[in-house]
Amino acid sequence: MPYVDTHQVESPDMSMTTRRRLIASLLTGGAIVAAAPLFAGRASAAEAGGPPHRDAADNDALNASLERESRMVATYRKAIGGLTENDLIAMTLILDHHVAYAQALTGYLAVDVKTPGSAPLASPAGSLASVARQLAALEDQTATIHTDNLATIKGIDAAMLLASIVTVEARHSAALELVAGASPIAAVGN
Amino acid sequence: MLRSSGALAATSAVLAACSSTKPSVARIGESPTTVKLEDLAVTDVVLLRTAMSMETMASAMLSDSGVTALASKDTASVIAAFAADHTSHLEDLRVLISARNGEAYSDTNAKLMQAYGQTALDLVASGKLPADTLALTLAVETLIAGTYQYFVSLTVQPALRADLVRIGARSSRRAAVTAQLINGGTGGFAPANDKDGVALVATLPGAFGSLSAVQVQLGPVNDTGTRATVLMDTPSLNSLIY
Repeated sequence: MPYVDTHQVESPDMSMTTRRRLIASLLTGGAIVAAAPLFAGRASAAEAGGPPHRDAADNDALNASLERESRMVATYRKAIGGLTENDLIAMTLILDHHVAYAQALTGYLAVDVKTPGSAPLASPAGSLASVARQLAALEDQTATIHTDNLATIKGIDAAMLLASIVTVEARHSAALELVAGASPIAAVGN
Repeated sequence: MLRSSGALAATSAVLAACSSTKPSVARIGESPTTVKLEDLAVTDVVLLRTAMSMETMASAMLSDSGVTALASKDTASVIAAFAADHTSHLEDLRVLISARNGEAYSDTNAKLMQAYGQTALDLVASGKLPADTLALTLAVETLIAGTYQYFVSLTVQPALRADLVRIGARSSRRAAVTAQLINGGTGGFAPANDKDGVALVATLPGAFGSLSAVQVQLGPVNDTGTRATVLMDTPSLNSLIY
């Protein structure tokens, strides 16, 4: 059997190193093409100039909202003292809502939270109608404070949190107005 | 050399396939051409125009003859006042749009009216149940309040977010009043069930405003003893007024 010697022929202008570089370049190019949309997405999001999710400049306004909610909690704790049955359940439900608002704001602020005051805003007393009337007014004021803060807040997450609070506090106020004896149309605020 | 050429050819084929704009599957005959959708931005003016369409829709639904004819004497005046409130909000929104050099929108939201608005009205008319008028009112007011709350997440200007929440809070108040008309007193504040385990209408169903679809049962009882449930969603990208 004849011995066959094989030789790999390499032309001087196309070395193995060059071919490897070419293939590597093609693969690198392919990877860049594949990853381009990811970079494009990030670039366009940054260029869009949309509102930030969080802004440290919002902390003062959020602490002010927290202060108000903390004092609403203290007010409701004082108000439910003389209530019974359904009236007690209803007012405790609203108290729990305000506790949830204070906790949500505290959680959002995290290390930037300032210890809120805990003095009641009022001492609602008397008949259920009288208590409800006073609490309805406080709910209105609280919703107004949050809404005014909303006008200054840049971070979208904090804005959404306050909006979801105001939506329900408006319900608190109208429901309490009705319990206080207002007509349906007057309870809406007309 | 053969290995290198093969790899080269394969890489070229992959890149060529990615860059091709022609359909990769052979077709016989004419194929429909695709039209690229217009690239539309959700601006503050778009949100305000959509809010106008929602207020118009709410007013139209609450003033519908099928609703007004069924409403009791006590509730008819309340529902009519709520409808008038929605009309009055149009002027507030028009001012906000003008301040941003936008164009006001005076029609109802046709896509959402088709998606669930007309269905709800048809069910109320066919059911002939006076209670449905308040159920529909509660659903509509909850929907509008949810719409403004949702729009806060899309609005760029902080001051406008506050304006939207102020208008939305009015719908929240109307929703609470309607819920109290259905299930009144402090006993109606918290979520609860009746003696048969059926959920009662609650004035304060949750601590935070919900953005989920509003569900309302309307219309006649069917053969299986149940009623149709209508789901009302806040506007989304396909129902905004651009």
